Formats: sequence, structure tokens, C-alpha cells
Amino acid sequence: MPAILEIQHVSKHFGGLAANSDVSFDVGLGEIVGLIGPNGAGKTTLFNCITGYYPPTRGEVLFKGVRVNGLQPDAVCRLGMVRTWQKVRPLAKMTVLDNVMVGALARTHSLRVAREAAREQLHVVRLEGKAGFLAGGLPIGERKKLEVARALATRPELLLLDEVMGGLNQSESEEIILLILELKRLGLTQVVIEHDMKAIMRLSDRLVVLNSGEKLAEGPPREVATNRDVITAYLGEAVDA
Amino acid sequence: MPPRALLRAPRGFSAPAFLAYLAVILLVALVPQLSHKPLILHMWIMVFLAIAQGSAWNVVGGYAGQYSVGHAAYFGIGGYITMLLLEQHQVAPWYGIGLAVAGSLILSVIIGSITFRLRGPYFVLASIAMAEIIRLAALHFRDFTRGAEGILLSGIPPLTTPWFTVKFLGKVPFFYATLGLAVIVVSANWLVQHSKLGYTFQAIREDQDAAHSLGINPTLHKNLALMISAAFTASAGGLFALYVRFIDPNIAFGIDVSVQMVLICIIGGIGTILGPVVGSVVLVLLSETLRNPKWLVQAGVMSDESPTVNFIEAHLSNAHVLFYGVLVVVVVLFAPEGFLGLLRGATARLRKRLAARRGPPSRPAAAA
Repeated sequence: MPAILEIQHVSKHFGGLAANSDVSFDVGLGEIVGLIGPNGAGKTTLFNCITGYYPPTRGEVLFKGVRVNGLQPDAVCRLGMVRTWQKVRPLAKMTVLDNVMVGALARTHSLRVAREAAREQLHVVRLEGKAGFLAGGLPIGERKKLEVARALATRPELLLLDEVMGGLNQSESEEIILLILELKRLGLTQVVIEHDMKAIMRLSDRLVVLNSGEKLAEGPPREVATNRDVITAYLGEAVDA
Repeated sequence: MPPRALLRAPRGFSAPAFLAYLAVILLVALVPQLSHKPLILHMWIMVFLAIAQGSAWNVVGGYAGQYSVGHAAYFGIGGYITMLLLEQHQVAPWYGIGLAVAGSLILSVIIGSITFRLRGPYFVLASIAMAEIIRLAALHFRDFTRGAEGILLSGIPPLTTPWFTVKFLGKVPFFYATLGLAVIVVSANWLVQHSKLGYTFQAIREDQDAAHSLGINPTLHKNLALMISAAFTASAGGLFALYVRFIDPNIAFGIDVSVQMVLICIIGGIGTILGPVVGSVVLVLLSETLRNPKWLVQAGVMSDESPTVNFIEAHLSNAHVLFYGVLVVVVVLFAPEGFLGLLRGATARLRKRLAARRGPPSRPAAAA
């Protein structure tokens, strides 16, 4: 499988704190990579480094073979890589449809074309009934969906999802899982940060585990789940060890 | 149920609304044919200038959400360039205002590239500081600007075209010039709101980081919004200076000029096309009535002997700032979307009540 995203020896330091150190892995075209790790492991920092919010202190990020570290987020988006936010960021005083149109306008100058594309994306995430509502008034489950729809409207080739299931109930999570799998079937490559282990095991083709900013393990979900280091990172060492 | 969008952007071009807009402009344009009373025309001119300024500010403050309180910089530079070119180099003002716009564009790029590194309250403070720097410079460099003495206009040459000649005597030419500018700026607001640019600006206003991740370059677009805004503000400044025939650093660059532009939008309804229009009418009526209530007499609303007029003249002629303050507090507390928001809320409720009377409401439509 050709790699669409190559993360090579990426480090990000904030003063003396190493939020990421020497993280390397590839994301293959069409696969879903799960990015897991305890709180503070550096998952979101890595997203920020990949999408241009932080310049990495060291290392390279290649997207479709093009070096993207040093690019601004808007340039990264136009290249075809888009992220969602763990803490959702609806454009509160704009309608749901207008929110998604903002995403669609990354690819067109025509409001009419953007409106059509936005309606399509709202249909994909089943929010078409809320098109005329203000985004700021949506409940959390629908805000998360809006976040995904808006990102999809930019027509990405790689979608980075930062805890889209956080704070959702069982049935809402299930909807998102089915959506992610459907997008995969349509050929969209995705990197998913998720805390819900059951969900991430089911979704991912491959797991990458971060701990204290370093890559701890990488591999098929089953293998990673039984990895001793991973278990230690999540649960701590045995008392007598 | 989440709230429905009350201030939803209208969907594109609507012929009835456009015709209504044209009709209003034509009706207003007839005013000088009906009445030549100078104080009445003065009121209209002040309203038009306020609309031009408020709507100009609205592009960067209302749509892009960058609350500049330093727009006096562009207003003043417009006024000064126009006046200096006319008085010292005999450049006719219609060219002068063009050059003033060019000057304001350059200034806006400089100020924007400095202040847009900051966000929120820090941006506001930086924008105030920029205007103050220019005001102090205008006071200081007397050889160039004549300092606090100001520039007095000796006369405006007549505008001669193959078809007609305009002599800038009296208020009528300024009535049409300021009306024209107001129409242009309001139309520009409509164009912004109904274009990709408007969506881009509003996305930056709502969440700059989210906008950035969706392919929008915030720095570029904030500067674009400021340039559009500055160009119109400078045109208003040029017309204002020609109209009052005098300019000094405090009139041109004073902070009350900047604050007034913000207040027009807050009181009328920020980030809407009609908001600055409504806000201008309210604010100009208020301030001009307090400063010179005689226009009420000319308008025939009150008699010359009216105790109200005499009371205002005697006691309230300097109180307009106090009234502004009270008005802003009331609007912020009770009508955060401005007078326009109040009007729209009222019509929406009325419509709902009418619909309810007509018959039992069907299932509420999700998207209309």
C-alpha cells in the first residue's frame, strides 16, 4: 500500500517539555490508522504538527510525497488534508448549512456550487434536517457531526479525526463509527484519535500508540492490544515489579 | 430544539428587495427638489456620511469581526489628503478623494500588518494606538499639516463635464455626493455578504483557527476586509472635510470619530446590511438634535417658541456623548443584535401569531 502520509522523526518541544519526540509512522492510502495513548501522550500535538498549526521542532511530514511541515493550515487543507477539533469549533452565529459551505468554498468560488456540496455533506452525516439552524445551538452529538461534515466538504484525501466520539452516547457513537467505515469504503484515508478502545479496535486497520510523546508500539489492533508495553502504559506496572 | 437562525443571511438576489432598495434611493434623491431648508439638508448629509462610515466599518468589524477602534486613521487621512491636495496643490477634490483612497489603502496595509498579529482586546488597543500615533503626528508636523491650526478650505472649483457643471455652493451638491457614497458603501456590504468573501470573513469572525483549518488564510482576508473598509472610510473623510470646509487633527483623527463608527454598528445591528443604516439614523438624529434642535423647527415638527427646543439648546447641547453612553448600555443589555435585531424579532413574532391565528401550526419546518 503506497503511503499518503509519512511522518518522519517528528519532535515537538515546548520549552523543556517534549510533547512529541522522534515519532515516525506512515499512513497508507485508504487505510484507517488509530492513534491512541493515555492523556497527555501527544496525540493532538502530533495532529497540530501535521496540519501546520505548530512547526515541528525536528523531523519531516510528507503528504502525497510533498513536504508539508512549514506550510500554513490553509495550504495543508488545500493540498487535501483536513482535521477536526477535539473541542468542537462550530461557527456559532452561522447556520449549519453556512458552516459546511465555508468548508466547501475551499474548492470553489461559486456559492451555488458550495451550497449544493454542503447539502450533500449534510446528507452524508444525516444533519440535513438542521440546515437552517444556528450551529451554536446544536447539541454536542450534532456539533461533532457538523465538524465532520464541514471537514468533508473541503474534499480531503486524508481526514484526521480528533476524538469525534468523545462525549457522545452509545447510539451517537455507533452512527459515527458507521460513518467512518462508510467513508473508508468510499476510499477516504483516515487517522483517528479515540479513547473508546472498543470503537478504535473495530475501526482501525492499524494502531499507533503514543506514550509521553514517544511512539510505543505500532501494528494490527489485536497485536497492539496484547503488547506488554502498551498494557503497562495504560494500566501502570505491577506493584512488585 | 436549538434556536432557528433569526439573522439568517438572505439567499442571494431578490428582485422585490432590489426594487424596494432602488425606490427608496429615488425617493430620497427627490428630497432637495421638495425642500431647500439648509438644516434639513444638513441632517440628511450627516446621516449619509454616518451610513457610509458605519457601513465601511461594518465590513471589517461586523463581517470579519475585527473590532477596530482606530478607523479615525482612515477617515482623517482621507480628509487631510483631499484638503492638502486642494489647498496647496489645487488638485480638484474628485481626483483628491481618489488619491486619498489610495493613501488609505497603503495606510491600511501598514496598520493591518502590525495590528492583525494581535487578537481580541489586544487588537482593539493596538488599533486605537495606531490612530493616536497619526493624530499626534498630524499635530506635530506643522509644516506639512499646519498642526492644531487646521486647514481652512478657501473654495471648491466647479466640476465641469461636457453635459453639466456643478458649483459647490450650498448643500445640494453635498446631499447628492454623500447619498451616492452611502449607496455605494451599502451596496458593497451587500456584495460582500453575498459572496465567498463574506463567508470567509464571517468564518474568521466566528473562529479564526477553525477557518484556518478549512483552507482560509486569516491574515490575508483580515487585511482585505480592512482595505475595503479603509477605502470607503477615507472617501467619507474626504467628503466630510469638503462639506465642513475645515479640518484639524482632532476632528479628523480624534477617537470619537472611531467610536462613533463602532457605535453606529452596535446600535443598528452589527454584521448586517441594514444595521449601520438604522444605527446612523438613530445616532445622527440624537446627536444633531441635541447639538442644534432648530432643525425640528425647520422641519415643522415644533414651533420656534417650543419650550423643548429652548430647553435642549440651553441645557443639553453638549450632552450627546452622555446620551450615546446610555443608549449603548440599553442596547447591549436589551437588544444585543441592535435595533435591527429588535425589528426582526418583532416581525417574526407577529408573523408567528398571524400564522397561529390562521390555523393550527403544522409540524415546524426544519429548513425554510
